[in-house]
Amino acid sequence: MAPNLRLNAVAFISPQNHPILIRTFSKQDENAIKYHYIAHTSLDVIEERASSKSSECYLGLLYSMEDVAVYGYITPLKVKIVIAAALTDAVVRDVDLNMIFKALHMAYYSAISNPFLEVRNGNTFDDV
Amino acid sequence: MSSRNSLPVPSSSSSVPPHLAALAAFSDPPTRHVDGAMMDYFLIETVNALRQSSKIALTREREREKEMIEAGLIPPPALPVKDTKDSAVSARDSTGSLASTKGGKVAAAGPVDEEEEALKVRLETIGIHVGSNFSERLCRDRGLFTETLDAIKFICKDIWAACWDKQVDNLRTNHRGVYVLQDNSFKTISRLSSWQGRPDAVRKAKVYVSMPAGIIKGALARLGYNATVSPEVTNLPQCTFQVKLPKGS
Repeated sequence: MAPNLRLNAVAFISPQNHPILIRTFSKQDENAIKYHYIAHTSLDVIEERASSKSSECYLGLLYSMEDVAVYGYITPLKVKIVIAAALTDAVVRDVDLNMIFKALHMAYYSAISNPFLEVRNGNTFDDV
Repeated sequence: MSSRNSLPVPSSSSSVPPHLAALAAFSDPPTRHVDGAMMDYFLIETVNALRQSSKIALTREREREKEMIEAGLIPPPALPVKDTKDSAVSARDSTGSLASTKGGKVAAAGPVDEEEEALKVRLETIGIHVGSNFSERLCRDRGLFTETLDAIKFICKDIWAACWDKQVDNLRTNHRGVYVLQDNSFKTISRLSSWQGRPDAVRKAKVYVSMPAGIIKGALARLGYNATVSPEVTNLPQCTFQVKLPKGS
């Protein structure tokens, strides 16, 4: 990862707008629920962005909240990937983020292709 | 799948600083290729194995049904409740319902037909799984789909080229949601022959074609279109797939 970019959380949302995986990387565990809220609010922004500017997977900065900047990506199969990154003053390149999103997409694809994959009843599948 | 042009691996391009090289490798994995002949062999073995297993599943089901009828738990021509085969979950459901509708109507609706139907359903389910996941992989570098025709064209070109090394020969539509994809020498059945003559070969081809039909159905389902795909084989290397999209899409 680029040295100036700190990921706080990653969320995958299905085409039917159900959360598939919400994974947080920050140390404070009691704030984890706020990333569910962030993922939920991103859905609205994604919908308006995706309907207007079509044929572009990378959606860029969706919005920024207290201390996180939220970036979005929608795959052609309508799976949405949302990244909550710590808000910094340093420049964050689109190219870097696009690469991160593509890597996440590939990881999702590898996990999903496994026909023996079982999704347990929390919101994580730890193979990713 | 065989003979797709491999994407260049970003080995040490100047624009990627070293700490991002690992990420770059993740985000752009090289395409893996599979020998095309292996797909043919694999399909042959799969069909044989599934034929055996679906036969076992059906006999087990019929025995259970008979037991329940004898115990008086269900009235004689009735819907069997249980399904016992533990293959993929959707195959389980669809096999149960298919056997029930057939068993309910005619007593012995030709057990051979029932087995073939069960086999086709299993093949189609496998195809659905393969098609959906594979279309995720193929969609990586392109943008979003603008309309239905776009999605169908993606299937005709990308999926056909990746799985069977060529593109669809003919695409027809009636502009009301029905598309007909025609392939004049479909790879899966091009080497199929039967010692019992042409009509038997055509009948056997219908079984093998259900997996590609499943691949198309799975890919379309992932794209958001719940279509019904019906394959038809009339002359041997030629195959048509009729794709019916639901109203309003």
